[in-house]
Amino acid sequence: MALALEMKGITKYFSSTDVQANDNVNLTVEAGEVLALVGENGAGKTTLMNILYGLIKPDSGEIIINGEEVQIGHPDDAIKHGIGMVHQHFKLVPSFTVAQNIILGMEPNKAGFLSPKEENKVVKDLADKFNLPVDPKAQIRDLPVGMQQRVEILKVLLREAKILILDEPTAVLTPQEVKELMEVVRDLAKMGYSVIFITHKLIEVMEVADRVSVMRAGKNVGSKKVSDTNIPDLARMMVGREVLLRVKKDTIQRGKPVFEAKDVSVSDVHGLAAISHVSFDVHEGEIVGLAGVSGNGQTELVEVISGMRPLDGGKVFLNDQDITQANVRDRRNAGVAHIPEDRMEVGLNLQTNLDENLIISRYNQSEFSKFGFLLSKSIHRFAETVVNSFSISAAKPGEDISMLSGGNLQKVVVGRELSGNPSFIIANQPTRGLDVGSIEFVHKTLIEERDRGAGVLLVSVELEEIMALADRILVLFRGQIQGELEAKTATEEEVGILMAGGKLSDLVSKQPESGKESK
Amino acid sequence: MKNKKFQKILDAILIPVLAILSGLVLMGVLIAITGKPVWESYGVLFSKAFGCEKASNCAIITTLERATPIMLTGLSAVVAFRSGLFSIGQEGQYLMASVVAGWLGYSIHLPNGVHQIVILLACMAVGAAYGFIPGVLKVKLGVNELLSTIVLNSIATLFIEYMVQFPMRADVSTTAHSPIIDVTAQLPTFMAGSKWGVGFVIAVIAVIAVYIYLWRTKSGYEQRMAGQSKRFALYGGVPSDKAAIRAMIISGALAGLAGAVEVMGVHRRIMTGFSTGLGFDGVTAAILGQTHPFGVFIVSILFAGLKLGAQLGLQLKLGIPRELGGTIIGFIILFVAASKFYEGNIDRIRAWFKKPDKQKAKGGGD
Repeated sequence: MALALEMKGITKYFSSTDVQANDNVNLTVEAGEVLALVGENGAGKTTLMNILYGLIKPDSGEIIINGEEVQIGHPDDAIKHGIGMVHQHFKLVPSFTVAQNIILGMEPNKAGFLSPKEENKVVKDLADKFNLPVDPKAQIRDLPVGMQQRVEILKVLLREAKILILDEPTAVLTPQEVKELMEVVRDLAKMGYSVIFITHKLIEVMEVADRVSVMRAGKNVGSKKVSDTNIPDLARMMVGREVLLRVKKDTIQRGKPVFEAKDVSVSDVHGLAAISHVSFDVHEGEIVGLAGVSGNGQTELVEVISGMRPLDGGKVFLNDQDITQANVRDRRNAGVAHIPEDRMEVGLNLQTNLDENLIISRYNQSEFSKFGFLLSKSIHRFAETVVNSFSISAAKPGEDISMLSGGNLQKVVVGRELSGNPSFIIANQPTRGLDVGSIEFVHKTLIEERDRGAGVLLVSVELEEIMALADRILVLFRGQIQGELEAKTATEEEVGILMAGGKLSDLVSKQPESGKESK
Repeated sequence: MKNKKFQKILDAILIPVLAILSGLVLMGVLIAITGKPVWESYGVLFSKAFGCEKASNCAIITTLERATPIMLTGLSAVVAFRSGLFSIGQEGQYLMASVVAGWLGYSIHLPNGVHQIVILLACMAVGAAYGFIPGVLKVKLGVNELLSTIVLNSIATLFIEYMVQFPMRADVSTTAHSPIIDVTAQLPTFMAGSKWGVGFVIAVIAVIAVYIYLWRTKSGYEQRMAGQSKRFALYGGVPSDKAAIRAMIISGALAGLAGAVEVMGVHRRIMTGFSTGLGFDGVTAAILGQTHPFGVFIVSILFAGLKLGAQLGLQLKLGIPRELGGTIIGFIILFVAASKFYEGNIDRIRAWFKKPDKQKAKGGGD
């Protein structure tokens, strides 16, 4: 097939951060092909794509589209040459309708007046053409994330893009939405469109892509046909060493309960019930996996347990002490560690240095402050200890952390939270957005903590992660515990049906009919 | 390690320095348009701001005297900004404290040494109280501190005018002013014929104290963390609300100190039109000084110098309106706000310088 795009010798050096983001990168995409672009955080995938989309100017290199060398200095040029990008964080106007968002900037007008009717028709025709049904009149803010992404894709298609860049499109989607997206991508390829699919989930690569290019440290370390490779192989290429995709875990005897929630109810920011009458416990030496599709009350539940949000009803206990009224600091002093789902905004302060990030929950301890003054020497020593014992090679005591990659930032959070032997650890989506190497680190560390005797509450929307780590599985659905399973005997199917709001009995009764139901 | 720290400082001051240079260049253009001698005006501006014609009459001394209140209101702004509060209430806090300083200066009589300290403490307390109001409104009711401090500034401006015109008015002269304060209430000066004195020392001590407070104490740490990231502070168990109110109290006390120093050391009374925007100068000094106490120290001297040079040099010697001084400061602020303009170019220049370096290093390695 003909080459739709060729990038030759792309090199980009960021002087302000002294990073060689792209080093003589070559990349090709054929027409009608899905190319997966994988690599760890900071490997240079996003830089390469931003260069292609005209957001960054390369130091050197050529971009050839349909056999012709082109200059792309601005996203407008990229669009003109048929390149469209769907960003990881959508760029939609929440208060506008679907049609208004898709058509934004190219409205058909009659003597200067907008014509909503015509806009809706254009969008409807477009949606029909690509078999991507949307309601043109719906407001963006009312739509689920998967639908918003569809709007982004249509927006790009309306601008006649032939090469679509999808930047980590599955990071925000539910498993069902991921499935739908995969179908959309395959359909587009069939229609002759080229898709560059950026991800670090290797399982998705195997599912959707024709070919895969792996980036490491700014270089393209290899492009392969998906049929000629496998997940362990790709993981090795990405990280540059052997990676344990599934960490080893011994069975150990669990101890007494360390954390207990009794009849807890919480409302969300809008005052609606997010969690209603939830009770569960976590024992010493046990990882309890809290599974569920994102948005079923996980965020609120974790905030209540950590003390960041007041609860509406019920009680929480730590080591048999009622901590319902205790504030965040008291809970942390009592041995609660918390790895939050949002490390950039909640878990870290990117505007300050490593030392100050590491003492946020312990600056009050006599080791770090005396008579109201900070003891900078012992803080510095503590930072060195954390960096060494969690081998965070990229972070240096006393220096800024804003330049660290996502994986290293998460190591800082994990290092801080797990120093000082906490008795109860809340890990909320601890590997979200991380590459395989960092995932391995986080998983290993959590299991080590469990083996030490800590109780771990692992909240994750990744079914695989729950299956790999948890000893006991709770499934959260619409703010309630839909079911509880022993991890040893649970199947992905069982957890899946609970996540969707079904009951285990449904699974048993439906199984004989499943042959009939599948189309 | 040392080198890196130096690089960091260099990065921090690069934009303000470029902004100041751009402002000065633009000043030259404006002067050229009016047909006055450009090079001479630069010379006059600087000699009248920072020069020393005679040992007894140094312009820099007057500049330092005028910089003192800006320095203190600037520090006040730094403390507020560093905790994420955009309080511009310095003007109001400064004026309220000035009223108190003017009043206590003649209404009570205490021995030398005691009198001054009593007034200084009282002014800090009044400033702190006037800062506490927007702080507590923000924390308890979510009132935007920018709006509440604007309103409180207006109240203070009208209040001082009323006090000067009626209750505290000294005599029935054409311009209203309060009685001269007692000698025991005045701050000593360093040399005859100038008002540069103990007030400046107080400001310098405040610069160091604010630095230590923000970066070496637990309270300062709490304040900065809450200011930089509310969610992070909540997550880590930092009492942000307490930190915010504390910041507003300290900020108010510093602005109050500015009022005290200005009344006790310079004017020795309050008069109609006392409000000349020194509080707002502090806000701009804090912004241009990278919300750092040392930055404020330098910028406040520079501002005071530009104003003085424009007044004594440009206006008196060359007949250029003194308002040009304020205009340049305005331009400088504008250039800082447009700092993106420099950033792109700095990066390009840096890359240009770095490239040969890199190649050399590589060549050596091979």
